[in-house]
Amino acid sequence: MANLNLTLKVWRQENAQAQGRIETYKATNIPEEASFLEMLDIVNEGLVKEGIEPIHFDHDCREGICGMCSLTINGVPHGGKHVTTCQLHMRQFKDGDTVWIEPFRARAFPLLRDLVVDRTALDNIIASGGFVDVRTGSAPNANNMPVRKKTADAAFDAAACIGCGACVASCKNSSAMLFTSAKAAHLNLLPQGHPEKNKRVLAMVRQMDAMGFGNCTNQYECEAACPKGISVDNIAKLNRDYMIACASEAVGVFA
Amino acid sequence: MEYGYSRKDVIALMNDIITTACKFVTSSIGRKILVALTGACLLLFLVGHLAGNMTIYGGNPGAGEPSWIDAYATGLHTMPAWLLMAIRLGLLAILLVHVVLTLVLKYENVTARTHYQKEGTLKATLSSRTMVLTGVMIFCFLVFHLWQLTVNGDPHDCYNHIIAAFSNGWCSLFYIVAICCLFMHVRHGVQSILQTLGLATRKVRPLYNLVAVLFAIVVCGGFISIPLAVLTGILK
Amino acid sequence: MNDIKFPVSDYMPDSCIPDGPIEQKWTKYKREAKLINPNNRRKYTVLVVGTGLAGGSAAATLAEQGYNVKCFCYQDSPRRAHSIAAQGGINAAHNYQNDGDSVYRLFYDTVKGGDFRAREANVYRLAEVSCDIINQCVAQGVPFGREYGGLLDNRSFGGSQLKRTFYSRGQTGQQLLLGCYQAMEKEIGKGHIEMHPRTEMLDLVVVDGHAKGIVVRDMVTGEIKSYAGDTVLLATGGYGRVFFLSTNAMGCNVGAACACWKKGAYFANPCFTQIHPTCIPVKGDYQSKLTLMSESLRNDGRIWVPKSREVAEKIRKGEMKPSDVAENDRDYYLERKYPSFGNLAPRDISSRAAKEACDDERGVAATGRGVFLDFKDAIARMGKEWIDGQYGNLFEMYEEITAVDPHEQPMMIYPASHYTMGGLWVDYNLMSSIPGLHVLGEANFSDHGANRLGASALMQGLSDGYFVIASTLPTYLTTQKPGSVTTAAPEFKEAEDAVKERINKMMNVKGTRTPDEIHRELGKLVWDKVGMGRTKESLMEAIEKIPGIRDEFWSNVKVAGSTEGMNMELEKAWRVAAFLDFAEVLCYDALNREESCGAHFRLEHQMADGEAKRDDANFAYVACWEYKGTGELPVLHKENLTFDNVHLAIRSYK
Repeated sequence: MANLNLTLKVWRQENAQAQGRIETYKATNIPEEASFLEMLDIVNEGLVKEGIEPIHFDHDCREGICGMCSLTINGVPHGGKHVTTCQLHMRQFKDGDTVWIEPFRARAFPLLRDLVVDRTALDNIIASGGFVDVRTGSAPNANNMPVRKKTADAAFDAAACIGCGACVASCKNSSAMLFTSAKAAHLNLLPQGHPEKNKRVLAMVRQMDAMGFGNCTNQYECEAACPKGISVDNIAKLNRDYMIACASEAVGVFA
Repeated sequence: MEYGYSRKDVIALMNDIITTACKFVTSSIGRKILVALTGACLLLFLVGHLAGNMTIYGGNPGAGEPSWIDAYATGLHTMPAWLLMAIRLGLLAILLVHVVLTLVLKYENVTARTHYQKEGTLKATLSSRTMVLTGVMIFCFLVFHLWQLTVNGDPHDCYNHIIAAFSNGWCSLFYIVAICCLFMHVRHGVQSILQTLGLATRKVRPLYNLVAVLFAIVVCGGFISIPLAVLTGILK
Repeated sequence: MNDIKFPVSDYMPDSCIPDGPIEQKWTKYKREAKLINPNNRRKYTVLVVGTGLAGGSAAATLAEQGYNVKCFCYQDSPRRAHSIAAQGGINAAHNYQNDGDSVYRLFYDTVKGGDFRAREANVYRLAEVSCDIINQCVAQGVPFGREYGGLLDNRSFGGSQLKRTFYSRGQTGQQLLLGCYQAMEKEIGKGHIEMHPRTEMLDLVVVDGHAKGIVVRDMVTGEIKSYAGDTVLLATGGYGRVFFLSTNAMGCNVGAACACWKKGAYFANPCFTQIHPTCIPVKGDYQSKLTLMSESLRNDGRIWVPKSREVAEKIRKGEMKPSDVAENDRDYYLERKYPSFGNLAPRDISSRAAKEACDDERGVAATGRGVFLDFKDAIARMGKEWIDGQYGNLFEMYEEITAVDPHEQPMMIYPASHYTMGGLWVDYNLMSSIPGLHVLGEANFSDHGANRLGASALMQGLSDGYFVIASTLPTYLTTQKPGSVTTAAPEFKEAEDAVKERINKMMNVKGTRTPDEIHRELGKLVWDKVGMGRTKESLMEAIEKIPGIRDEFWSNVKVAGSTEGMNMELEKAWRVAAFLDFAEVLCYDALNREESCGAHFRLEHQMADGEAKRDDANFAYVACWEYKGTGELPVLHKENLTFDNVHLAIRSYK
């Protein structure tokens, strides 16, 4: 198999306060079957040997499930191949390519260093209502409440979100609607999550707004960039559920 | 008290409604829904407006006979003045809500985003990315359009006024460009309204897209046909 | 070669197993356990390290009960812990399938699967709470697979003859962890948990013999800080990355557990490391991790290598396509050796068989370390669509990584380090040999004995966190005056200074080799010598070489950057240093255990047919190692295992 030589344009920034800039590096002799992050490992090893500080980036499981890896590659989160950055392989690139590597964009994701951003805002949305409020040990027998298979499958489709934040980073408005709506849909669809549905929707939307994310303009960049294929149907559902929840809050209908 | 409401109950209910309404109009989804609803009203207005405009193809019989469009315009003015004013003010209010909320949302969206250097787009259509631009164009056109044909117009001599206006090439060009912007705006707007109102799913979204395009073609095609017909001499 | 004589101590802490028949132990324990008044619980501070299934569920549950919980993880969010990567499922003895399951049967299968090296009372408790776990997760909204009638569906898994595994497609770990993470976020939102992401535990603080705090590094600012609590819960996972390449996440490390070991917690059975048979083979030196392909693939895939070395050689060189190998030239070695279990033989057995085939130079893949997993027959029998319905996402994932379509050519797989059964020793209360230090999940030596069955890790993590620790923690806490120790205690300053000194020492080496290079060297050595098949010679060789690598680290490592701010090289270096301190005890334990059992296979101890030969007379004990200094021999403490409820038998899957 052939090895690649690439030019990397990488965003470097020492810390949140520092001035960021694009630096150019050569990535030489990169095996085609290496993953994108392994390519960065190779480049970093070279940088360290040259006495340059390595490029910092977030990563952990490297099998596309933990959601920690980020990176905007050539202007698109995760490179836009329907996989996470860690599952993006170098055979997707051609010898001699110039590759732009930048952090996930969003004011709500402040930069920490180089390509590492802080995505705590997403955790805060979950903390506001993205759960079923059951105490450990108080649960009834699991088969006491049947759930239609179709419903369970739909809930799973929404629950497959890995919380990487690519939806926010790809959105022209840095909206967190896909993330928020996926979690709301997962729990709202299931009978277990039904008692708190209205409360959850209001709390999550209000928290999302408070975190400084932008507003959805239905361009569906999020769906296209999502490595897990989360559907924008969830956004439509959240819009619907939000109207219902507001009506419930104001005059008690649909309570 | 009558209906089982005490004064306190009424105040509590009003309080709940006002509180929620305030939260609604300051929330992202709430404002989007208002933009969508006002957008839908404006689309309905467009349909009505187009239907009225099409009467121009009734031609000008001349010889003191009123043309169809003059009859239509005069007809509109036979309704009580207060009603006409109410409709105009209503439309204006809808338009203002649509414009103001959009600009506020846009401001927030710009603020919410940070930029590095490279930008990429996967799926967002050109029309969706230029909504504010096309919106501003349409607004400017609207001001001109009202000035030209409503403020300075005469409902009894509509036909000739229109023919005169569109005989000016620059005027027609401006009109056509504005309607092209309207096409872009409506093309994204229709399916966006359906999504925002929670009526879209994966199954019907392609259909909505088709509907949006067809709707935009029919409406904008209808409007554009008039200056074209004037310029090509079909309408005299 | 000189024999190593390990110092053996007669002292062994009480394992605190309640009296009475095994079915009543846990009930009796809970009935008699000490309680803490809800109003008093908030006075106790519980430090939880790690937010996987064990740590996350413990943090959520204890916070719900009213304790003041502080929680730490090295990832940017508690949702990212590596429990999330578990694919297959979670076992429970619900017997929803009416196929004869019971608590006893789950208990028996787990003890047998662990080759009779687990503590009976713990395993029974695990089986008892298994159903509560499923109930709890369903109530949280975990979308388990369901049947059309709306009830829960089950799968079957290796090592059992019934269907008791609950699953969420191929992402069961993810869904369980999200349930647990959401429960945590709920408590974070209510202010009951103080969450510290991007914070790595570097040391344990022991005050008057009790674990009372931790020293951490803030991975964003680089600040070294301490936190004091009334007890410490360690849920930091396993040490599988001692092999460098493994299915673990890049950040998984033994640092926290090793620090506790050095402070006096016994390390139990470190040689029990599970090697998973179906991973994508190594491609090159740059490789950072190995990807697991679910065990479920073995239901329909057939494992083979060429019968002749010549054919294997041609495949390795790319001169021949695997699909062109004639049926007669293929050796379906698992079906040949284990006709009744065939391709579904347990993990340890399948892994060793693959290694043997490759040692015989019949391996495929460019490196020679790989075997085929072939779906040709299954596709011919059931059709491509059916196969895609079963394994579509796995096939896509495989093609994504290797650029080979498994419909056309067989998959290539090879075993890789996956899970570690060994860990810090704990008693029935999950408390280690340091009072106040509780260890949960994969980090403890746990309930899996010498081999873990599929779908049991998730069960154990959640059992420890949701149910066990909530009942056992008061047993310790009631002996303590809440808030009696603060970070003002001199032990905190001492521990912080020691940590800072160690960091400065590694920063100041300024050598030429990166932490990763040294880690890779260590990993290769441990994999080659202490991997799937171990001999006295190989172990002695590893024991001789490890100190050399450690010296190399401390004299030639190059840690870029500074101690301030984010520094991923420093994080790596710290973790590698811990692996280097820990690697020897893994070898010592493997050397000491002169038998083969479960995942621990000593080539000297096998049956005539190559099966593991256990020595119950001499090794039916938990080997607990007490740290005596780096480079010094650890002291061996033995906890004898008694089997009153299962009959010790030869584990046969033929």
